[in-house]
Amino acid sequence: MYGMLDISASGMIAQRTRMDTITANIANQNVLLDANDQLNPYRRRAALFAVGNPNATSAQGRKFGVHISKIDVDQSQPQPRVYNPDSPVAFKTGPFKGYVAETNVNSVVENVNALDAMRAYEANVMAAEATKQMMTSALRLIA
Amino acid sequence: MIGDLTSSGPVPTLQAAMNFAGRRHQLLLNNIANISTPNYVQQDVSTRDFQSQLAEAVAERRGRNGSAAGELHLRANREVSQDATGRLVLTPMTTSDNIMFHDRNNRDLESQMQSLVENGMVFRMAGDFLKARFDLLRSAISERA
Repeated sequence: MYGMLDISASGMIAQRTRMDTITANIANQNVLLDANDQLNPYRRRAALFAVGNPNATSAQGRKFGVHISKIDVDQSQPQPRVYNPDSPVAFKTGPFKGYVAETNVNSVVENVNALDAMRAYEANVMAAEATKQMMTSALRLIA
Repeated sequence: MIGDLTSSGPVPTLQAAMNFAGRRHQLLLNNIANISTPNYVQQDVSTRDFQSQLAEAVAERRGRNGSAAGELHLRANREVSQDATGRLVLTPMTTSDNIMFHDRNNRDLESQMQSLVENGMVFRMAGDFLKARFDLLRSAISERA
C-alpha cells in the first residue's frame, strides 16, 4: 500500500525537475556569453522522461512510476535575425558571420511546457490525495 | 469454526473487491505519473470482467455449499489471477482507445481521474460494508446490543 505513494511522488519529482529545466531556460534566454566571457549562446535543456522509478523503496514501486532518464541539451542553431558586424556578440566566423548571436530558447514554447508540467504535477497531487483517503478508509477497519 | 467468522459470508467477497480496487488504483496512479512520458501506453484492467468473475465465484460457492457460507474461490481470467498467498495479480491488457499523440502516448487525464474517483469509491464502499460486518461480530461477541 505504501508503495502507491512512491508512484505519485515519482511523478511529482519528475514534473518538478522538468519545471526546473524550463525555469533555467527562461532565465537564460538572453545569455550569449559563457563563464569565461566567450561568445557561446545558451542552449535550451530538455528533461527526458522514462517509465519506472529506480529510487523507490519497494520492488513494486521500482516497476511503476516515472523518472528523468536524462537532461538533454538542445544543440539546434537558430537562424540569427539581426545583422550587425560591429556588435560585440556578433559571430566572427562561420556561416552566420556578422550576425548577432541568439539562444534557441523560445519563451512561448517554454511557457506552454511550464503550464503542462504544472497541470501534470497537480494531477499527481490529486492522485496522492485519493491514495491517502483509501489508506484512511482501510485503516478504519482496525479501529 | 472460528475461522468461518472471517472466511465466509460477505467477507471474502468484500475482501476480493477491496483487493482488486487497491491493485487497480496502482495502475491508475502509474498512468497519471506517466502522463508526459513518451512511448507510454495507458494500462488498465476491465472492471466488468472482474465483476462477472466475482459473480461467478459467488454462484459457484452457493452451488457447492447450498448457502452463502464458505470460502470463495476466484477463477483466474485473462487479467486477474491469484498467486500462492491469495494475493490478486493483475495483468493489464485493457487499453483506452484514445488517440495517440505525437510522442506516442495516448494520455487521457479526464478518464483517468474519473476511474481514480470511481475506483476509490468502490474501495471505500467495500471497506464500509466490511467494517459494518465486523462491528456486528463485535457486538455479538460482547453480547451487547
